[in-house]
Amino acid sequence: MQYSSTREAFINSLTELAGRNRKIVLVCADSAKVIRADGFADRFPERFIDVGIAEQNAVACASGMASCGLVPFVATYAGFITMRACEQVRTFAAYPNLNVKMVGANGGIGAGEREGVTHQFFEDLGILRTIPGVTIVVPADASQVGKAVEVIADIPGPAYIRIGSGRDPVVFDEDLPFELGKIRILKAYGEDVAVFVNGHAIPRALAAAEGLKALGIKAMVVEVHTLKPLDSEAIADVLKLTGAAVTVEDHNIIGGLGSAVAEVIAERAPVPLSRIGIEDRFPESGDAEQLMDAYGLSVDDIMDACRRAVGRKERRSS
Amino acid sequence: MMLSQTVKELEKTARQIRRDIITMIYQAGDGHPGPSLSCADLVTALYFAVMNVEPADPHWPRRDRLILSKGHACPAVYAALARKGYFDAAELPRLRSLGSILQGHPDMLKTPGIDFSSGSLGNGISAGLGMALAARISGLDYHTYVICGDGELQEGIVWEAAMAAKRYQVGNLTVLVDYNGVQSGGRIEEISGLEPLVPKWEAFGWHCQEIDGHDFTEILTAIAEAKAVPDRPSVIAARTVKGKGVSFIENNNAWHKRVPTREEWEQAMKELGAED
Repeated sequence: MQYSSTREAFINSLTELAGRNRKIVLVCADSAKVIRADGFADRFPERFIDVGIAEQNAVACASGMASCGLVPFVATYAGFITMRACEQVRTFAAYPNLNVKMVGANGGIGAGEREGVTHQFFEDLGILRTIPGVTIVVPADASQVGKAVEVIADIPGPAYIRIGSGRDPVVFDEDLPFELGKIRILKAYGEDVAVFVNGHAIPRALAAAEGLKALGIKAMVVEVHTLKPLDSEAIADVLKLTGAAVTVEDHNIIGGLGSAVAEVIAERAPVPLSRIGIEDRFPESGDAEQLMDAYGLSVDDIMDACRRAVGRKERRSS
Repeated sequence: MMLSQTVKELEKTARQIRRDIITMIYQAGDGHPGPSLSCADLVTALYFAVMNVEPADPHWPRRDRLILSKGHACPAVYAALARKGYFDAAELPRLRSLGSILQGHPDMLKTPGIDFSSGSLGNGISAGLGMALAARISGLDYHTYVICGDGELQEGIVWEAAMAAKRYQVGNLTVLVDYNGVQSGGRIEEISGLEPLVPKWEAFGWHCQEIDGHDFTEILTAIAEAKAVPDRPSVIAARTVKGKGVSFIENNNAWHKRVPTREEWEQAMKELGAED
């Protein structure tokens, strides 16, 4: 597996944008080191604001800036934005529909890894999904983060980009574009089961699909990098083709991709579903790959879930 | 820009604002009279003698900004905005009604002249810091004012903002504390100690003044002094009386949130000089 840094990809993309757009501001909460902000701070000192270890202040302050026409990016650990400053996100960024962009590091247990539960954030997406009007994206890897930052800077309103640890699996070719709000079919071995996945869990889903092929189950792997606005129609179309679904995410199975797809299934295309993710429990410290294996995200777990979903489909139709 | 009012005119305008507060809460059947009356003079001074604003162009980028951090006192600001000409005073009785531009707490998208949404306490200074920094980054010379309740200074984010504002030397930020000593649940000192208030702000590195928040000469003098400090944020601890201007509401915390009866409304109008 190759690795690159979603954190560096974010700051490089933002620094380049800031050179073209004088409204771009970076707001940190003693997180400059976390997101490798030195280059930005050196080049644009007047547009680098560090409010200290004070995430609520960071988000409310950014909202004040946005109300005056700036485009602030608040960047720190995912949970400190979405939990510590949750109400500021909801009431002062989202409710007035302000142009506050949020970048959350350590998204998922595989990104928080050795830090342990306090720095492993697997609830961020579920929390944000209940707040009206927040665009939510989970880019697959570093190059996708760089492109997502450009796209997000250009759309009006509050948005959240989930990034990782700084040692993040390379998933895609660097040239692959990022199209906000659209699902992407990554692999189509067939139409037995759809595997919806995002973020750094993608390589596991692809490996599972390949393993299933040898067992005679032909999966379709679908990336859902934009959780909001959700591409519900295209997801429903895939579900109608496959008749069975599995979701794979480094997030609680409650609230994130699994819930989002379950909602589409319940309302538009009823099919059997198995959710792979953190099963509503707290993880622990450990190596990223070992942790994800230990907490239900192993390739075998995904393959088993696919077999279960396909089995339920067949029982229904017999 | 309209000409500033004299102290005598401000006193008259403030009586109008207070009548509007009581009348809109009476007609709407909901709202916070005590907190609104408490800051009515501060709000009046800002809109009618201090702030550089254009009611015909509420989004004018160079305008001075006001954040009412104690958002539940919005009837005071709604009345001032209406009397300043941002919208028709006939809207005021629609306060808190379905479809109204006047939400239960300030909504910057619905009400012309509201610079920032508020209502969740403690957040106004942070947002004001953002506005003050935005002025610097954008090369604009507007001033940002924040009216805080004293009770909401119990929120931790207030002191997060106080530290950062000092660090960034935002001389273009002035906080006015509506210092009436009482919060929703009772006397502040009996709930969670705030004192010594002014030394706290001094320790955080702010330029501090303490004044009578119902004396227009003192209010205007203090704001002028605050604006003249180039490299530090300013706080003005404005001593006020909760419910100021209506005898039976003054210092009676039952009026933190209460609707007057017809008799009470009539009595209040008499005391507030309805003949003005």
